[in-house]
Amino acid sequence: MSVATPYHDREAIFSFWPRHNETLLKRLESKDAWLSTRRGIEVSRVEDALEHEMTLNIGPQHPATHGVLRCVVKLDGERIEKCVLDIGYLHRGIEKLAESKTYQEFMPYTDRMDYLSPYANNVAWCMAVEKLANIEVPDRAQWIRMIMCELARISSHLLWLGVGLMDAGAVSVFLWTFQGREDLYSIFDEVSGARFTVSHSRIGGLATDLSPTAIAMIRDFATRYEEIIKGWQKLLNRNRIWIDRNRDIGVISKEEAIELGLTGPNLRGSGVPYDIRIFEPYLKYNEVDFTIPIREEGDCLARYHIRVEEMLESIRIINQCLDRLPEGPIRTDDAKKAYPSKDEVYYSMEGMIHDFMYTETGVAPPKGAASYHAIESPKGELGFYLESDGTGCPWRARLNAPSFTNLQGLESMMEGHPVADIVVLIGSIDPVMGEADR
Amino acid sequence: MPETLKFHFTPVDEARAEEKNVHEKASTNVADTVEVLQGQFPGAIAKVSVYAGEYTAFVKRESLLQVCTALKETLGFTYLVDLAGVDRFCEDAPRYEVYYAIVNLDTGKRLRLKVLVDEEDAVVPSLTGLFKAADWNERECYDMLGIRFEGHPDLRRMYMPEDFAYHPQRKEFPLLGIPGSLPLPPRVPEGELTMDPFAAARSGSPAKSYQEPKGEDA
Repeated sequence: MSVATPYHDREAIFSFWPRHNETLLKRLESKDAWLSTRRGIEVSRVEDALEHEMTLNIGPQHPATHGVLRCVVKLDGERIEKCVLDIGYLHRGIEKLAESKTYQEFMPYTDRMDYLSPYANNVAWCMAVEKLANIEVPDRAQWIRMIMCELARISSHLLWLGVGLMDAGAVSVFLWTFQGREDLYSIFDEVSGARFTVSHSRIGGLATDLSPTAIAMIRDFATRYEEIIKGWQKLLNRNRIWIDRNRDIGVISKEEAIELGLTGPNLRGSGVPYDIRIFEPYLKYNEVDFTIPIREEGDCLARYHIRVEEMLESIRIINQCLDRLPEGPIRTDDAKKAYPSKDEVYYSMEGMIHDFMYTETGVAPPKGAASYHAIESPKGELGFYLESDGTGCPWRARLNAPSFTNLQGLESMMEGHPVADIVVLIGSIDPVMGEADR
Repeated sequence: MPETLKFHFTPVDEARAEEKNVHEKASTNVADTVEVLQGQFPGAIAKVSVYAGEYTAFVKRESLLQVCTALKETLGFTYLVDLAGVDRFCEDAPRYEVYYAIVNLDTGKRLRLKVLVDEEDAVVPSLTGLFKAADWNERECYDMLGIRFEGHPDLRRMYMPEDFAYHPQRKEFPLLGIPGSLPLPPRVPEGELTMDPFAAARSGSPAKSYQEPKGEDA
């Protein structure tokens, strides 16, 4: 059996962490395919006389794994019998790091979690802290946050669409979607001064207001891209190759999706109408008119449809937000809870002291307070569970990362599919390792 | 008669349940579910705390499985959203706690359970039999805090390699790590293994990330 190879020349192949690889392979041998067992599919165990079985290691350095995901798969010919995912190659321990940062200081770290939609992470963190410390946010800031969150969603889905299609062999869509991401980067640049890691949200509001140029750019983006996304739909929705690659691949039923704990578009692709924007409306989502796309099929094609339709819904939300954007302050005017405005900092002693105090200690929620706040990030439910010990640093900051839970489902999803479907499956789950590995 | 003056220490701002939180959500108001649980399992819920409109039921460890089974089968809490451990460290007696966030998709409710875990006996019954979603989260909790989950089919570490001997999210684990605990690849092609990636932070000399070319006369 070729399975034995890694054990035989283990020293030659793996020079690092031999025990880790040993337990990983042992797990691969001992596990059973959860979905087949659950569905009562009898997997025939015939003697492997022709030596069709082998253990293959895909990743962590494979470009199709969208980062540093390592899949150790046991193959029978081309079919994946079992799969074990090994993650942690991007583990930075940001939950631990948060414990020694003030609440505001932790913001740049959230940019680097799901680095495809940094703004959504910023907002998730800010809202979690605001709930913990009971800080009110002015209306204008909430509307702007909503616009930017939806732009982040489009940005993330654009990358997913381009890269997903490139995985399936269509390179041109990748170039088009990156044109879109480029436009979004310009908007983020205009709004926050950074193209990628924006860190624009602040506890209690925002760092800066939208400039008239930024508003014009967002409006222009929303009008142009509605047509462009519909054009992509025309190209792909009835595209024979794309449909054949995706239909009936990685099918997850409603019950299975709930049990596996999938979130976001992957859960809605299986027919579960769970979207935090509807489930527990935050910001002003209960005041705008939008729908959440839902599909029943639970395969890769359903997840594709959902994400593309979500982009169109996001544009609808952005248009409504722009129309209804109220005038007013963008940060709460309480120097104990949020940064004072720069006008105050530069021209008054109190402002400067408050700015200094806020950087030094920041907001200190009451001792023993604990709360959980989640938002619907592009990948799914992104929540922070925070515990305070009464100081300016969180006692425990728990990140509930959607990519992590989705990857757990991917492990079961892969089993039973040919190797060629791995890339399509990973793409359709849309994991970001920066978030999954924390 | 003048008022007797008292010296006030800096007051500790305690969390108060009665204070209205502006971000309070209707979905976290699960008073009725907690009441049902208390009626069904007398004594199983040691304490219920409320903050920001969020209910936390402290479940006794031995009745966790019972309570969760009832929650899943009869009360409709089928969707496990999150599971994680907390190191309370300086607080009174039980050192760790494990928290569970479970959602009822039909009624739109979110419930939080907590189990207190002793340091000497850091074992919690695993929920993998009820919720498949608990699998990786429990592995992560074991990896980060060293809490073991009884009945877990595959309690390996989640992020750190098996060869690592510590549980990094415990409060006593240093932020800069422990030198030599995790050998990393050499920084230069023919170099030694990197035993301490934060050598510079420990005021040692930083390792070079490049190799000097050999001189002419060497």
